[in-house]
Amino acid sequence: MAKIKALKCKECGREYPVEPLHVCEFCFGPLEVEYDYDEIKKNISRDKIKKGPVSLWRYVDLLPVENPTVGLNAGFTPLVKAENLGKELGLNNLYIKDDSVNHPTLSFKDRVVAVALSKAKEFGFDTAACASTGNLANSVSALAASAGMNCYVFIPSNLETNKIIGSLVFNPVVVAVDGNYDDVNRLSSEVANEFGWAFVNINLRPFYSEGSKTLAFEVAEQLGWKTPDAVVAPLASGSLYTKIWKGFNEFKKVGILEENEKMPRMYGAQALGCSPIYKAFKEGRDWITPEKPDTIAKSIAIGNPADGPYAVKVTRESNGDMEVATNEEIIEGIKLLARTEGIFTETAGGTTIAVLKKFAEKGVFDKDEVVVAYITGNGYKTMEVLEGHLNKPIHIKPTLAEFKEKVVGQTINK
Amino acid sequence: MTGMKLKLIYPEEKIKEPILSKLCKTFDVDINIRKANVQENIGWLELEMTGDESEIENAIKWLQQQGVEVSPLEGQVFTE
Ligand SMILES: Cc1ncc(COP(=O)(O)O)c(C=O)c1O
Ligand SMILES: [Zn+2]
Repeated sequence: MAKIKALKCKECGREYPVEPLHVCEFCFGPLEVEYDYDEIKKNISRDKIKKGPVSLWRYVDLLPVENPTVGLNAGFTPLVKAENLGKELGLNNLYIKDDSVNHPTLSFKDRVVAVALSKAKEFGFDTAACASTGNLANSVSALAASAGMNCYVFIPSNLETNKIIGSLVFNPVVVAVDGNYDDVNRLSSEVANEFGWAFVNINLRPFYSEGSKTLAFEVAEQLGWKTPDAVVAPLASGSLYTKIWKGFNEFKKVGILEENEKMPRMYGAQALGCSPIYKAFKEGRDWITPEKPDTIAKSIAIGNPADGPYAVKVTRESNGDMEVATNEEIIEGIKLLARTEGIFTETAGGTTIAVLKKFAEKGVFDKDEVVVAYITGNGYKTMEVLEGHLNKPIHIKPTLAEFKEKVVGQTINK
Repeated sequence: MTGMKLKLIYPEEKIKEPILSKLCKTFDVDINIRKANVQENIGWLELEMTGDESEIENAIKWLQQQGVEVSPLEGQVFTE
C-alpha cells in the first residue's frame, strides 16, 4: 500500500483510512485518494509504462489499485489527429481522444468502473451497484458480469425498458423504484450505506473518479510525453474534467513530464439546458446553484453536480473558459465530427464539438496550438436524437437511367 | 437509529418558511446542519438527519411535499 497514504477530505484536509468511504464525517466534503508521490516517483518511468499492458492499467502506479482484476482492456483508446475537422476550424494540431470506442461498453465510464470494481474486489465486495439508465449502467453491468459479481441497477419505475436494453443484456438485477430521479438517488445512497455493496459512484467514488486521470496520462503519452496547449471536455458532475487536470499535473509531479512542461488550459462544455457549472464560472461564484435539466444531452444532464465547484476552480487556475451548446448545436456537433472525421459520438460528444467550434471561432486557440477534444461516448447509443436531422435516401427505380438522372445528376460535382 | 446525510434544495417561495423547525416538531428526528447557502432565489443546505429509518423516510417524504428537493450528499448520482 505504499503508494497510497490515506483518503483525505478535499475541504478540511482530515485524513481517513483507505476504506470504502467517500464523505468527510466532519465537514461533509468529498474524500480523495492521497498518494505518496515521492514513493511513486521512485517506481514509475516512461519505459515501465511503455512495457505495461495496452490499457489504462499501464498507469497502475498512479491508480488506487494494487491488483487490477476488472476491466483489463479498458482505456488506451485512439488519439486521432483531426486533419479535416482541424481544417474547418482553422486548427493545425487538433486531436480527438476517442473514448467512443472504449472497451467494453463504448464510453469513458469503462475507465472509472474498471478502477472502481477492481478496488471493490480488493475490498472483498461481491456485489456491484449503481443508479443509472445510461453509460454508467452499461459499464457496471458488463464489467460486473465479467468479474463474476452480483449486480444491481436502480432506475425510476416509469422508464421504458427499451432504454436499458444495453444494460439488461448483461443480466443485472434491475430495481425499478416507484418514484422520481431524486427518490432513486436518495434510495441508492441509503442502500449503499446500509448494505455494504459497491456502489461505484457513491461509496467507491474516491477510487472510481481516479480512473478518469488516465484520459490525461494517455493523451500525454500519445503526444510523445507532452501536454496539449488546450483541452476541451464535457461536464456532468464535473468529475471527469477535474481528474483530467489532476492527471496532467500528477504526470509532471512524478517526473514523467519535463519539469517545465506547461499545463493545458481547460475548456469546459455543458449543454445550455443544464449548465450550473458554466453559470457559476461565468458569474464568478464558487458555489453551484442547482437546476432542473432540460436538454437532449442526457448523459451530461446533472443539475446538482457534486464536483462543480472544483471544476470552476480548475478552469480559473488553468486560464481556461466554459461554454454551452443548444440542442441544435449539439446535433450539429455530432454531425460535424461524423462528417469530417468519421467518428460517431453521442450528445456529450456533440456538446464538446459544438463548444470546441465556438472557442475556435472566438479565436481562443492559436492556429498551431495542440488542442485535444475529449469524445467520451458513442453515438450508436442515442441514435434517436438524430431523427429528422439527417439526409434522406434517394429513391430510384432499378434502372441505369434513373440512377444517372437522380443520383449522378444530384450528387456528383456538388 | 440511523443517520442520513442529505442535501436540501429550497425553491424561492419556501425560503422564508420555518420548514426544518416544523419538521422536527412533526417527526421524531434530529438534524445537524453542516453547510448552508441561502440566496434570494434559492437556498440549499447539507445536514445529517438521525432517527428511525421509517421516521427519516417519512420526514423526507414530507419535505418533498413542501416542495423541497431532497438529494443525497453525493449530488446527483443518477445520469441517463
Ligand atoms: C458520455 C459521457 N461524457 C461525459 C460524462 C461526464 O462525466 P462527469 O460526471 O465525470 O462530469 C458522462 C457521465 O455522466 C458521460 O456519460
Ligand atoms: Zn472535511
